[in-house]
Amino acid sequence: MLLFQSILLGLLLGGLYALLASGLTLYFGIMRVVMIAHSAFLILAAYLAWWMHDRIGVDPLLSMVVTVPLFFAAGVGLQRLLLTRLRPATLTMMSVLLTFAIALTVEGLLGYAFTGTQRRVQLGYSSASFEIFGARIAVVKLIAFVLAVIALSGLYVLMKRTRFGWALRATIQHRDAARLLGIDTERVAGYGFGIGLATAAVGGTALSLDTTIYPSLHWHWIGPLMAIIVVGGLGSVPGAAAAAMVLGMAQSLLQIPMGTTWAQTVFYVALFATLAFRPQGFFGGRLAQRF
Amino acid sequence: MSLATHELRKAFGGVTALDGATVDFHPGKVNALIGPNGSGKTTYFNCVTGMIKPDSGRVTYKDRDLTGKAPHRIARAGLGRTFQLCRTFPRMTALENVLAAVPHGGLRSFRTRSDIERAMSWLTRLGIEHLARSEARDMSWGQQKLLELAGVLMAEPETVLLDEPAGGVNPALLDRIGTLIRELNAEGRTFVIVEHNMDLVMSISDHIVVFDRGRPIAEGPPSVIRSDERVLGAYLGV
Amino acid sequence: MPNASKRILVGTAIALLAAAILVFPSLAPNPYILSSGVLVLNYAVLATSWNFVGGFTGYISLGHGALAGLGGYATGLLVVKAGLPSFAALAVAALLVAALAVPLGMAALRVRGASFVIVSIALVLILLLVFQSWASFTGGSRGLVVPRPFDLSRPEHHRVFYYLFAVLLAIAVLAWWLIDRSRFGLGLKSIREDEDKAEALGTPTFAYKLIVFVVSAGFTALAGGLYALWFGDLDPVFQFSILTGSYLVLMALLGGVRNLFGPVAGAILVGTALEYFKVEYGDTPLHLVATGVLLALVVLFMPDGVLPAIGDLLKRLDRTKKSSIREVTAAELAEQRKAAV
Repeated sequence: MLLFQSILLGLLLGGLYALLASGLTLYFGIMRVVMIAHSAFLILAAYLAWWMHDRIGVDPLLSMVVTVPLFFAAGVGLQRLLLTRLRPATLTMMSVLLTFAIALTVEGLLGYAFTGTQRRVQLGYSSASFEIFGARIAVVKLIAFVLAVIALSGLYVLMKRTRFGWALRATIQHRDAARLLGIDTERVAGYGFGIGLATAAVGGTALSLDTTIYPSLHWHWIGPLMAIIVVGGLGSVPGAAAAAMVLGMAQSLLQIPMGTTWAQTVFYVALFATLAFRPQGFFGGRLAQRF
Repeated sequence: MSLATHELRKAFGGVTALDGATVDFHPGKVNALIGPNGSGKTTYFNCVTGMIKPDSGRVTYKDRDLTGKAPHRIARAGLGRTFQLCRTFPRMTALENVLAAVPHGGLRSFRTRSDIERAMSWLTRLGIEHLARSEARDMSWGQQKLLELAGVLMAEPETVLLDEPAGGVNPALLDRIGTLIRELNAEGRTFVIVEHNMDLVMSISDHIVVFDRGRPIAEGPPSVIRSDERVLGAYLGV
Repeated sequence: MPNASKRILVGTAIALLAAAILVFPSLAPNPYILSSGVLVLNYAVLATSWNFVGGFTGYISLGHGALAGLGGYATGLLVVKAGLPSFAALAVAALLVAALAVPLGMAALRVRGASFVIVSIALVLILLLVFQSWASFTGGSRGLVVPRPFDLSRPEHHRVFYYLFAVLLAIAVLAWWLIDRSRFGLGLKSIREDEDKAEALGTPTFAYKLIVFVVSAGFTALAGGLYALWFGDLDPVFQFSILTGSYLVLMALLGGVRNLFGPVAGAILVGTALEYFKVEYGDTPLHLVATGVLLALVVLFMPDGVLPAIGDLLKRLDRTKKSSIREVTAAELAEQRKAAV
């Protein structure tokens, strides 16, 4: 039963990982940018959800009405105003530093505004749970998972079914060719960044439901997320989603014999193993070969 | 036999870039590789020089198998190359750009007298010795093309692969590059040139290989190629 | 002769810097200031060590803090658990970390920049995890006490380590200079400028990157180990802090990664500022904000560093004085020929 419960929990966790990793993958696909600040924005969104609940008294889920458009705009701004300023030749390296700097700034500002105290959203349904075949699952975890699935499906439809999605995929695959097709790749790249950051807003809200948050929490997320995008093959959204599910499940299962802390090492082991033996990743992603 | 490939294949996703390219270049000659855009010439260069790995097929040089070897090993085997859009080391001086091609590393100073003399003589031969202390990023396009060539020659390759040496250069420089290639060839270097400028190709080549859709469709001396119908067809899309 | 005058200028600057570093302990008014001096020198060694990779190859590591921490813990554990003499432990620790850098580099350097950065950050996070959790071996969050190598009073202890760090800094700077003027160094710099091109010219890029990464890790571990012997108390939260790595990057970038003394200058600047703010304002989250904003500004507006930016400015001012650029290059050419022949 414990095993079954772990599998279910791993599945739920993997959904959130998949959503967040897809954001990271978008940035990398669009501009070859490893966006270190992604998880800092995740925590920022979680804080905003907590704050709105704590001060205004609205349900954390409603905070997305504000945070999603806000983060989308911030993502567009980040790409258009900051990243395009960097020299193309050193873009990958310098963008890492820039987004790292943004992560530090966000963390510092969170610490300044909300102090380092640990925060947790207290909801009427926080402690509710239900049983399925003997496994006990918290309702909030299920809500978080459903949120992630909805957002991911939305992303999938957007990428595969819309004209914008077509332009975005073309930009990711071959920027010059996309330009020749009449796509305004600069604008598409900006919107792509906005969407990436919007996934962090959704993820952060989901996270706030059942996690204790504090400013430096984002470092616990960025490591696993980077491992996921490398294992998934840098730049491949389905690859990242698959890797997220597999690794989330592995983490959850390893918690039984190893404990929560050591189970986290599975991400780093997977990261090193992938780079050492199969640098192009395990799920497609031919981009990775040269990065 | 010098540089040769056998049944070289490479596909990117669903697009076939090389479709069984079997080519035998003539040693000691100026070979040209021509063909319409997208016929796989640059992919071919990249496979030969190890920048990308072919899906199948063989690359041999002087009966040595070079397939899938690292680019620096292929360079050390005596194959030098330039890039389609010329590439130099932007924040290094012209002299350093050329010295970077000296083989064998180690902690010895890179400014040894003999190396500098050799580097300067290449810069002089290409007519850019007055720019020796300028950084490459401050040089004009044409000067950078000459600089790239000087760097490649510094490594003393027996075979030189040039990817569009005439791309974006003015007519005066074009003449000079043409003459230079013939001179360097007369000194014993084999050339393989990808080029779109037909005047240059026809005037300096001994042997021409025509690519279409990832494989050679014709080869021979300029006089034959000029009147080959398959070539005309490939170019005109007939 | 502009070359000779430049050489004299550089020589004088180096002599002044060395003199200032050597005289500092006797000028320091109290042991606290002296200990700040030790910390700044420690940063100078670390930033210079970082610059073996960052400056030559252009690969930016955010994980060098972890390599230093590893050097510190290895030294401490070898003294405490294996009973090695302090400085033997330091040497062995540096070798161990350098050896560990080989598989790390193999995984991180086979492909291009992005995975290197990812590995460097992952290194910090995983080591923090391991050293906090494996309490029975590392002391965990309680920390690890490293016995002092000398039986000295506090000011004397600081003074001795101050000079030890100065010696290590001199060795690191010398090694950087040796590589900078070597063929190996030129190969590394060509990787920084255009890796494909370097490889096409015959440079074994992977081997070069790996070697210089190992050298860099060795020096970093030496600095970390020396810190452990000096400070005497290691805590995983500080040894494996992502902040250490970002300070190093900031220092090196600020001072200029292509300059021999760039990282040292950056370390003196940032290190002093860090110490000053710690005394004045204590440990606040605004530290992070200041570091982040400063790093972003440098990356956006002065990616070549502050010193080179000032140098460029001076050069431009100098150039306007002369009649034409053409003349300068001609003069330099004559100079060059004289030097070459």
